Amino acid sequence: MKLDIVFQNVTFTYAGAKTPAMRGIDLTIKTGEIVLITGPAGSGKTTLCSCINGLIPHYHEGDLQGEVHVGNYNTRNVRVGGLASLVGMVFQDPESQLVTNSVVDEVAFGPENLGIPREEIDERVKKALAVTRMTGYEEREPHTLSGGEQQACVIAATYAMHPEIYVMDEPLANLDPAGRAQVLKLVVKMAKERGKTLVVVEHALEEILPLVERVLVMSNGEIVRDGSVAQVLAAGDIKRVFKRPDIVRLAESIHLEGQPLKPETLFEEVQKHFKPKAIQARYAAQHSNGHGSPIIQLEHVTYCYQTDVDALYDVSLTVRSGEFVALLGRNGSGKTTLVSHLIGLLHPISGKVTVMGKDTSETPTHILARDIGFCFQNPNHQLVSFNVREEMTFGLKAHGIDPTEFDERIRTALEIVNMQDYADAEIFDLGKGQKQRIALASVLTLKPGILVIDEPTTGQDPEMTEDIFRIINDLNQQGTTVIMITHEMDYAARFAQRALVMNHGHLAFDGPMDQLLGNQQLIEENSLDLPDIAKLARMFSGYGVPANTVRFEDMHTYIREMVGVKNGD
Amino acid sequence: MAIEYQKGKSFLHQLDARTKLLIFIGATVIAMIVVDPLLMGILFAFLYYLGRKAIDKDQLNNNLKVLVVIFLTFSLFQVLFFTPDDAYFLFYLIPFKNWVPVTIQGLVRGVAVFFRFFSVVLSVHLMLYTTPPVELALTITEREQKKSLRNDLLIILPLGMLLFAASLPLAYKPGFLQSIQQPALQFFSLAAGCLVAAFALMKLMKKGLPTEMGVALTLGFATVGILSKQTQQITNAQKARGYDVQPKNIIRRVQVLTALLIPIFLATLERSQDISIAILSRGFDYNIGARTYRRSFTFQKDDFLVLAAIFMLVLAGLTMKNLNWSSPTESFVLSLLK
Repeated sequence: MKLDIVFQNVTFTYAGAKTPAMRGIDLTIKTGEIVLITGPAGSGKTTLCSCINGLIPHYHEGDLQGEVHVGNYNTRNVRVGGLASLVGMVFQDPESQLVTNSVVDEVAFGPENLGIPREEIDERVKKALAVTRMTGYEEREPHTLSGGEQQACVIAATYAMHPEIYVMDEPLANLDPAGRAQVLKLVVKMAKERGKTLVVVEHALEEILPLVERVLVMSNGEIVRDGSVAQVLAAGDIKRVFKRPDIVRLAESIHLEGQPLKPETLFEEVQKHFKPKAIQARYAAQHSNGHGSPIIQLEHVTYCYQTDVDALYDVSLTVRSGEFVALLGRNGSGKTTLVSHLIGLLHPISGKVTVMGKDTSETPTHILARDIGFCFQNPNHQLVSFNVREEMTFGLKAHGIDPTEFDERIRTALEIVNMQDYADAEIFDLGKGQKQRIALASVLTLKPGILVIDEPTTGQDPEMTEDIFRIINDLNQQGTTVIMITHEMDYAARFAQRALVMNHGHLAFDGPMDQLLGNQQLIEENSLDLPDIAKLARMFSGYGVPANTVRFEDMHTYIREMVGVKNGD
Repeated sequence: MAIEYQKGKSFLHQLDARTKLLIFIGATVIAMIVVDPLLMGILFAFLYYLGRKAIDKDQLNNNLKVLVVIFLTFSLFQVLFFTPDDAYFLFYLIPFKNWVPVTIQGLVRGVAVFFRFFSVVLSVHLMLYTTPPVELALTITEREQKKSLRNDLLIILPLGMLLFAASLPLAYKPGFLQSIQQPALQFFSLAAGCLVAAFALMKLMKKGLPTEMGVALTLGFATVGILSKQTQQITNAQKARGYDVQPKNIIRRVQVLTALLIPIFLATLERSQDISIAILSRGFDYNIGARTYRRSFTFQKDDFLVLAAIFMLVLAGLTMKNLNWSSPTESFVLSLLK
């Protein structure tokens, strides 16, 4: 079926907003194209997606100018449900899209709505589960699945409706690296095999660029770049909007043609086109471990509620003051369970947890909270007020801080997260990244000696992720002990000195980050996503490149030295 | 103590949701018309036996234990206040003062009432424990049905018979149906009236919930688990920020509650928006009238057996009532004493 998506001079302003979220969009996406849309948060990507399946203008209120056509249908004149038979949508947070009690009901929900006869629904469900490798999960409750499985379930549910166009808005954002790889392959394979159109929004370019044909870059509601992958990459970076993958930038810096996208290809190309010389063996600066006094101690901690779900088995570790610890591992491996013990939200069945000399099983959480600042993954769960200043005062009051100190503390905390101009802003007006920073700031007003942060960068664009890691790194430099759960291996590798890897409730690794980066087996077993730079460093280690290189700048220097490209050449 | 569906493969689990709904209705009707403690006791014991086979024994017992005291109080009221003038006097509950006479009839009633309440409550428990809520909602949701005279008759005839048995006493009452002279004609018109009523009831039953409402109900059930998980996360987040979630001071407690309620409220609001976007994107408003369902619900042999049993029991109960023989135990005890 031919179903082109055509935008004609489309501008949309959300009700209540002053500026349009998307302006003057002219765009044609042909049947069967695989298109990536990228750009910073708030650049209008989601708005564009919502126009394709009619959520705009039918669900989201606002002012829509221009025309959007899907095939012969003008989206203004067709209901969302009508378009749903042609356009399948997958959003960022899989949990929010799961609406029924079992996987099989979930997958059947769409076809049921379309009035498909029962026998055919059964067939479609079977096929969809097979394609997404979810066979055997029929009776599972969706909210008990892991993130990757949940997203696969959502994709199966969309697939079962047999749409001609798939629109996926950051389908990978909430997944761990294992889930990301699984879902990404699945989606592209599905579209290619059946000749369907695929529009996918994504920030992390490394994984997806090799799989798509066309790239759109959006900024401030406009399409600033549109073309084949090669064309868009050749046009270079755009500051704070579009940053090409490290591998592409490295290749460019040594004037390598052919735009390699993967470390393997870059390695091969370098060997083919240059005769790389070994550089003088050197070792990247070793991270220094904290040498302060032990402030967190876990002794043979075991926690087990249901078998293998959120469990801990005989975990022992010591964290010294001033350390920056990255807590890594797959979804469901016990990371959140571990940190919940630090503040007494959970108590070990056996073993002992001591924080700043206090036994957490005997000290109430609100007392422990004086020493440990805790930041949760979803800032919405933490924020209790409608106004930034109120929000921050709330925590101070709860801890009985002297009110004369309030203003000073709030100002300092907001400065740290670089939000000093937002003291009187309404929380609802803030974006997700800003909310995350306010949540962090309200923890910082209490000046905790230890900071525990659970995935602070989920669903944020690279700029925001970089900002948050820098803020936390600065705090660490000033003496705060940091324990951070994250899936962002590249950032963790750059900033954290020590890594803890959890695997099925066991502490699989505890040691310096450098050592983890060198342990390929461990990395693969825990499907930790080794950063491209680290992969490349390992390949070039025969030429004297330190295997623990993780910073782009370092690799940049090494590779230029190897191939003999000089500055200004 | 929430009554939640428990997975299982017992006899009750295999029954159709509608059958279990009818067990509940049947038990309620029987409890209303039968006042015999022994018969009600047997019904209760049978239901309890089914329950024991189907669900976790401890949970069932715990749920029932809570109610024992309440229902005993109800029974006590019966013993105290149900004293017909010709009742067989036993003793005074408060001796010397001769206060509160206890009679045979009162005692019998009291025990019967105890089992009555328990049978009704137990049948609700059994239904909720062994039926996924989604199924319960979907079976009472309107959907396209094939017209079948046989099926219609299968509902109308037993229903008509029950109505007839229930309304039979009316025929004997003076003043009612007296305009019709012949007794045969009286019966005939009564029967015809019952059939019409049964037909109307059937139509009403078949109508069911509007589709939107039925589907909304099933979506609601699915949300419960997610919302409680979310509430837990929010409570944890607030605890971790240093709020004493269970302070001793009442005023503090109210303050803390607001700190929890705002994020819970907002998160729920957000969730409901997510759901509406999710279901719209999956074609919920495609053509709601022509929606189809993956699950089909058909009565099996066991369902028919159970339905027949309920029918017979209710009919027997009505007949006993009509024959003024509603408490054989009471008559038996009294005859022993005479």
